[in-house]
Amino acid sequence: MSELAIRVADLKKTYRTPFRRRRVEALRGVTFAVERGQIFGFVGPNGAGKTTTIRTLMGLIRPTGGSATILGHSIRERAARYRVGFLPESPYFYDYLTVGELCDLTGRLFGVAADARRKRADELIERVGLGRARTQSLKKFSKGMLQRAGLAQALMNDPEVVVLDEPMSGLDPIGRKEVRDLILELRARGKTVLFSTHILSDVEALADRVAIIARGSLQSEGTPAELVRRSVLAIEIAVRAPDAAAADALSTAPATRLRFADGELVVSVPPDTDVDAWLARARELGATTLSVAPRHETLEDLFMRQIAGADDSPAAREGRT
Amino acid sequence: MVGRIWAIALNTFREAARIRVLYGVLVVVVAANVLAAVLGQLSIHEDVRLAQDIGLAGISIMGSLTAIVLGVMLLYAEIQRRTIHAIVSKPIARWEFVVGKYVGMALVLSVLVGLFAIAMALMLTVDGDGVTMAVVKALVLAWLEVLVVAAIAIFFSSFSTPFLSGIFALAMWTLGRLTPDIEAATHAASPSIGIVARVALEIVPDLNLFAVSGHEVSGELVSVHDMFVSWGYVAEAAAHGIGWIVALVALACVLFERRDFA
Repeated sequence: MSELAIRVADLKKTYRTPFRRRRVEALRGVTFAVERGQIFGFVGPNGAGKTTTIRTLMGLIRPTGGSATILGHSIRERAARYRVGFLPESPYFYDYLTVGELCDLTGRLFGVAADARRKRADELIERVGLGRARTQSLKKFSKGMLQRAGLAQALMNDPEVVVLDEPMSGLDPIGRKEVRDLILELRARGKTVLFSTHILSDVEALADRVAIIARGSLQSEGTPAELVRRSVLAIEIAVRAPDAAAADALSTAPATRLRFADGELVVSVPPDTDVDAWLARARELGATTLSVAPRHETLEDLFMRQIAGADDSPAAREGRT
Repeated sequence: MVGRIWAIALNTFREAARIRVLYGVLVVVVAANVLAAVLGQLSIHEDVRLAQDIGLAGISIMGSLTAIVLGVMLLYAEIQRRTIHAIVSKPIARWEFVVGKYVGMALVLSVLVGLFAIAMALMLTVDGDGVTMAVVKALVLAWLEVLVVAAIAIFFSSFSTPFLSGIFALAMWTLGRLTPDIEAATHAASPSIGIVARVALEIVPDLNLFAVSGHEVSGELVSVHDMFVSWGYVAEAAAHGIGWIVALVALACVLFERRDFA
């Protein structure tokens, strides 16, 4: 049995605008793999190609090149979708159904027997916190409630692979935490989760592996620890300065002032700075030390660096013309 | 396969049953039957004829127009509202989805035609003549026409917008009803008109087969009030209609298969 839950190889999608005057490359050869039991975060800004990749995996969009498999089955085969649960981005469901009826319809499409459908729908509706809204039609649901209903239907077939397109979208902080807990629970039960987001804190909190996509191309892929630079980027020093003049004196090279408010000065110095000497000078000026902290690269730094790189790439420049 | 198609069909039925226009159509047809009965009382010995003519015309026209509206709306709405994303991503083939939509629509239209027929039967019973076998055959033919028109609408809807699909379907329905005139045009003096008419006859379903009352069949004038067609003719018309339904839905499936749902 393949250890890969999802394999995407050189996936391409090109749209032609009406009358075939212009080609728009939505995916430019995306390649990545998701191992079984992993949480895989798919990150990118709006319009990067996250949703196109996911919709291609789910059979909604036909790729113009490359290939992809889910649990060893080509995405062109219907079998690829039997053991997959899918939550679309900003899910739209038949608004005249109740959440129970939505789960029942989903169960029917997966061929789940009537008794099992009812039992599973009841469990999932409670699990996503919609027990009290069971009799309401989806028309009356808030965006967050629809997202929860979408999660319930995505799990109706007890899938081995769960694909969630922007699952935290529209949720309040409590809802986001519940979805995060649900994703972690799915991994604990041996499921594979691929989720897309542009909220980096969600990826840092959840993902075993991360892929960053921009302008239809994968910029990098790996564990969060592999991706971010472990070396110290800078040292942030906070001192309490006696007055503005002292703060100005301490904000000269090699230090860069980050902020000065209520007597608290925060500066950033390069990692090779003699911090002891800098602090001694600060003390001479009457300042007292509050904190000294090294700053490592974060996923956000990496993300911003790679997005900027993608925007400057020849392909991106070509796309802008 | 059958389970998935049935799931989509039932959901389509539920969706269509919420379209309020359908209830408006029902009211119009029932009102037309009542009007026919009233007008019939005012006429001399023509009460039954009027009730039958208006009732059958109402079923045929309103049923076909409803089929066009439902056909062009229901499939497109799935794409426009993106409800299709949560369905096509499941292990259902796209052709199963299209067939399910058609079956669901056919169910709705059958119920609607059934209600039209009940309204008409009640009026005919009030008029004292009751429902003759000729009327039953005419009702079956009208029902078949509505199902063919629904297939025409779903075919256009598989690749076009509701507005254009509606125009195309309406044009095809009109041409389908004019097949005797198109056939006459094949013998026109102008060769180009003859060619166009011959091509039109090949690509347009002969809907006139389903509305034969008052027309000649095999050289004899048939009428729902007098000598009407045999059950053999109804079976032949049904086979013709089913052939067109299968062909149109199959084409819709092929076209739908190629679509991206971005």
